[in-house]
Amino acid sequence: MIACVAVVGHQNNPLYLQSFTEADDALKLHHIVHCSLDVIDERVNNPKKSGTTLNEAFLGLLYPTENYKIYGYLTNTKVKFILVTTDLDVKDADVRNFFRKFHLAYVDAVSNPFHVPGKKITSRTFAERVSNIVNTFWLNTAV
Amino acid sequence: MEDYAEEFRTPPVTLISLVGCPELHPTISTYLHSEQPPINTLALPDFSKISVLGRTHKETADSGQPGGILKRDWLLKHRIKVPAVVATLFSSDQVAGDPAQWLQVCTDLENLKIVLRGRNIKLVVVVVQSTDKDEVTEDRMIALRKRAEVDSKYHLIFIQNDASELKQSLKRLGSALAELANIYYRDEGRRIKTRIEKKNFNFIELNIRYCFKVAVYAEFRRDWVEALRFYEDAYRALREMVGTSTRLPAIQRLVEIKTVVELLHFKISTLLLHGGKVIEAVMWFRQHIASYKTLVGAPEVVFLHWDWMSRQYLVFAELLETSAATIPGNASLILGTSEKPSTEWEFHPAYYYELAAHYMREKRCCLEVALSASETSKRIESSSESVIQSVFVGQFARLLEQGEAFVMQILTDAEYVQYALAEGKRFQDSYEIIALLKKSFESYDNLNARRMASYCGNQMAREYFTLGEFGNAKNLFDGVVSLYRQEGWITLLWEVLGYLRECSRRLGSVKDFIEFSLEMAALPISSAAESSRCKGEYGPAGPPAFPQREMIHREVFGLVKGEPISTSEEGNCILAITNDEPLHLEIDLISPLRVVLLASVAFHEQVVKPGASISLTLSLLSQLPHSVEIDQLEIQFNQSECNFTIASASKETEVASSVGETVTRLKTAPNLSLVTNKWLRLTFDVISEQSGKLECLSVIAKLGPHLTICCRAESPASMDDLPLWKFEDLVQTFPTKDPALAFSGQKVVQVEEPDPQVDLVLGATGPALVGERFLVPVTVTSKGHAIYSGELKINLVDASGGGLVSPRETEPFSMDSHHVELLGISEPDGEGESQAGMDNIKKVQQSFGLLPIPFIQLGDSWCCKLEIKWNRPKPIMLYVSLGYLPNSEAGAQKVHVHKSIQIEGKTAVVMGHRFMLPYRRHPLLLSKIKLAPDSDHSQSLALNETSILIVSAKNCSDVTLQLMSMSIEMDDDEIGRSCTVQQGGDIPLDNAFLVPGEEFRQVFSVIPELNFPTLAMGTVSLRWSRKFGFEEQSRSSVTATEVLTRHRLPDVNVEMVPLIVSLECPPQAILGSPFTCYVRIRNQTELLQEVKYSLADSQSFVLSGFHNDTIFVLPKSEHILGYKVVPLVSGSQQLPRVTVTSVRYSAELQPSFSASTIFVFPCKPQFMMDDVGSKSLEPIAT
Repeated sequence: MIACVAVVGHQNNPLYLQSFTEADDALKLHHIVHCSLDVIDERVNNPKKSGTTLNEAFLGLLYPTENYKIYGYLTNTKVKFILVTTDLDVKDADVRNFFRKFHLAYVDAVSNPFHVPGKKITSRTFAERVSNIVNTFWLNTAV
Repeated sequence: MEDYAEEFRTPPVTLISLVGCPELHPTISTYLHSEQPPINTLALPDFSKISVLGRTHKETADSGQPGGILKRDWLLKHRIKVPAVVATLFSSDQVAGDPAQWLQVCTDLENLKIVLRGRNIKLVVVVVQSTDKDEVTEDRMIALRKRAEVDSKYHLIFIQNDASELKQSLKRLGSALAELANIYYRDEGRRIKTRIEKKNFNFIELNIRYCFKVAVYAEFRRDWVEALRFYEDAYRALREMVGTSTRLPAIQRLVEIKTVVELLHFKISTLLLHGGKVIEAVMWFRQHIASYKTLVGAPEVVFLHWDWMSRQYLVFAELLETSAATIPGNASLILGTSEKPSTEWEFHPAYYYELAAHYMREKRCCLEVALSASETSKRIESSSESVIQSVFVGQFARLLEQGEAFVMQILTDAEYVQYALAEGKRFQDSYEIIALLKKSFESYDNLNARRMASYCGNQMAREYFTLGEFGNAKNLFDGVVSLYRQEGWITLLWEVLGYLRECSRRLGSVKDFIEFSLEMAALPISSAAESSRCKGEYGPAGPPAFPQREMIHREVFGLVKGEPISTSEEGNCILAITNDEPLHLEIDLISPLRVVLLASVAFHEQVVKPGASISLTLSLLSQLPHSVEIDQLEIQFNQSECNFTIASASKETEVASSVGETVTRLKTAPNLSLVTNKWLRLTFDVISEQSGKLECLSVIAKLGPHLTICCRAESPASMDDLPLWKFEDLVQTFPTKDPALAFSGQKVVQVEEPDPQVDLVLGATGPALVGERFLVPVTVTSKGHAIYSGELKINLVDASGGGLVSPRETEPFSMDSHHVELLGISEPDGEGESQAGMDNIKKVQQSFGLLPIPFIQLGDSWCCKLEIKWNRPKPIMLYVSLGYLPNSEAGAQKVHVHKSIQIEGKTAVVMGHRFMLPYRRHPLLLSKIKLAPDSDHSQSLALNETSILIVSAKNCSDVTLQLMSMSIEMDDDEIGRSCTVQQGGDIPLDNAFLVPGEEFRQVFSVIPELNFPTLAMGTVSLRWSRKFGFEEQSRSSVTATEVLTRHRLPDVNVEMVPLIVSLECPPQAILGSPFTCYVRIRNQTELLQEVKYSLADSQSFVLSGFHNDTIFVLPKSEHILGYKVVPLVSGSQQLPRVTVTSVRYSAELQPSFSASTIFVFPCKPQFMMDDVGSKSLEPIAT
């Protein structure tokens, strides 16, 4: 199940962060998302070492923690998407699929003429769409 | 890792035993220990001690249900007690001695054999000799070997007295021992392996134990592959035991399994990592954790599980760290497989340390729960005293004293839980957690993973916070907070600031407390929707929500207004701002408190006249959740006399009384209340009397009785966005009403100098002439005020660009490389030239001059002249600037006046020269014949013959020049003296005026006296001066200076002349009256010269004589041809032309047209010229 999704701007500032857990660990998720930026930096700066190919937005599993797995996605505008799941067994393909949908939602949100690039995403529509995507992700993997 | 016994942590080392000859034991054991691989030695001094090697009774009874999986001391036993080989040492005299001694040897050997047989320990027999001679008979040796039942290979002779022999003996002994030990461990391993293969056991525990033993024996043999395989077998078998074994009570059962599996896992990981298989080790670890993570166990001892988990991570981290050197380099790692990808951090110990800390925290949490649940903690302590670890790994037992003996009693689960709780209480988990996090922090920091490190720092700080060590906590939080600020992670920042605020409160630091509180209150946390979702732990500040911000705001402003806050729960220590310790906060451009108060200052103009007023807009912005009332504002400038204070209208009198006389400038504003995110704009006029830069430095706001905030003023044009708030979706606002000013406004204004009221006049009269000292009069006239300590600066700059110096053109006769130079400055009263040193400092350089000018009263004027000399024609710009003080007061400011003028430099005189031959005299110059006419560069002159030199000087300037003299200066050397130059004519040069464009000529006769190929002719010197008109002379009141212009004459070629042809005829003739012409041919050589000549007819004359002929001129003699000529036509007429040809030189000589022209009078003129004519017509005798 998805614990948290986040959009992080190119100055590594949070643009959108939403947790979906009932547990009292919202702060911990903030920390996890923040820490995962280190891995993204590492991957982006040393692409050879991590073996990721060029033009691949999906960064794969960033790192596992005690209860979560964190996946990353880097758009071509250096905006990062981060996904925290509690499922320890998630298929890469599912995550890829999730990020693709999420990216579309993000693009729609920032294409809003009233949105100032680089500022936090406050669109309610975006939030609804994201929670939709998150719910369907859970359904898909559960089946 | 240090928790494990030494024997588990290090690879096993072969053990052998030495018996007999104790004096040799140290030598042998040292040698064996330094071998590769090393061998440990168990030294038994004599045969009475051999019983320690034997098998005890307990061990032999190995049947029935095993009490546990692994015996705790089994491995230790094999490492320090049970040798693989025993070497018996007999001295040679023992063996070769009398029958009694021999009998003793045999008995000892028998006893030893009996002991060894039980354990299959191998035997080596060594006979120690002092020399290499056979000290023992062959029979005895064979007998000994037979008795010992050893192969001849293992029956050695050890020679002790000779160094090289000793070395050899040691080597032999060492290899024999190593070989036998290897055989022993192999046999033992094989023996147990067969048991496994035959499934010769009833209990799974035995299977595990056997696998373990085989693996250990393999390790003894350094067969790492087999060791790994059997450890893995044991590990798997153990996993099957979970849930099936019923031997022990449930809790203890799981504890035992976990303890053993931990050991096995440790062995496997060590072997993998030392073999360089990092990826396999990481995968194995992950699998290990996955399969045991869920085996939590009974709820009352969950903490044991987390403790165990934490230990797994810690041990693996330590293993990774110690083996980091052996990892072949991280770059080549391929991270995991496609289905099980692993990530970067999983190869760094930092990750495992952090998780170890996490599980340790989990353990602490569960332990606290368990402790609070059990109300019997007092009883535990008493009953847990006698509990010790039992014989088997992972088991505990109670030690009971029964008379003399101790008896182990198996514990019940309840007893065990009590014991475990008591043990758990003894440890200080917090410090353990901090230590783990510290390691992780350092490791992440080295990896340049700042965020991970910050998270570790954050957790560490929280541990310190819960421990009550607020100083440590604050230091750590301080290190973390900057990263969150920088990247704008508001929630994390809120949490850390909350802790920091609380730490400051507990530490009693008012300033920090207020700073952190203000920063928190101004954080961009606004939306109500966000606050509703805030759950869980957020530290002491509570969840990040708007009401919390408001609360903090109220609290901090309560403190500012004088309501104290207690620093601890008891409330005995109080935090307050008092009269004695007023608080002063500084907000600079990078301070996080910019969000609390931001001051932007913009002048409405960029330049202002001194004394004129300029408008200034001060804008203040605050993001605090509630409006803030400012008591007074103080604006500070770099010119302190401009500083002023602003008070709100309501508080004006109050402020005025408090500031007193110190601040004279007090202004009022209707309202000094700062509303959230709304600019407070105040516009005031400022007057500066001082020229230069006027900059607003800071704005000091006074809030409450004792708090001042000093805010660095910022220019709106170069103002950064507010940190943190720039990511928020806010309406953009401008600090000034005028948007243009918001984009271009500056906090700096340039105050101009006061207007100069002085005239500076440069009077230059036309172009300057090269070579003369050109005078430029400079006049300073005071118009508006007197001039104090004035100073003139003079600069010469090339008007066409480029410098006044050109290193390429070095002039031969001017050492000065400057084309135009400032020679000096002459003062008006003439009392001092420029160099005349007064006490004033006066500097004149070639292109720069500095001249102090005296005090000039109002209305007076002062004048001086600049002397400038041009060495080359060049236009220059002359810049003169006057700096002075308008009054003599100390604080007066300098005023500057600048003037410039362009002056052309022109060449005054152009000189030329020309060589000519004497009239009607033609020397035959051979060089002219030989060379082509165009290649004739240098003039040729005939030796000892007179030549004519005409020097001309043309006035190219626009003014009349007066010439003083013209002369030729010969070089004063041998070459120079070889030539006579005479000035022709006696024309007096005095008052020779040369109007513009006129040319002056001077004639010189030159007689070369030495045959010299190139003769320097010297230099023409022309002295001249500028001729001033009458009115100019009166105005400038100076006499013209004499200028010397030089013109170098070219070198000439002097040569011998073989023939000279001269034409002699009267200067004029009279129509019809005959006269005689002579052509004189002089041979100057020592040779006979054949000369042809011809005479052309002329219509104007009738002539008599040969038309052409060939004659011979004798050496050093002259031949004269004479003609009688009668003119037929009057006027200027051409004489019949004579052509003389020298056959020897193939040269033709023909007088020029001018030379053969004669004027014919129609009749005899009416003036007396006979004297002249008779003189010149006198025939020259040969």
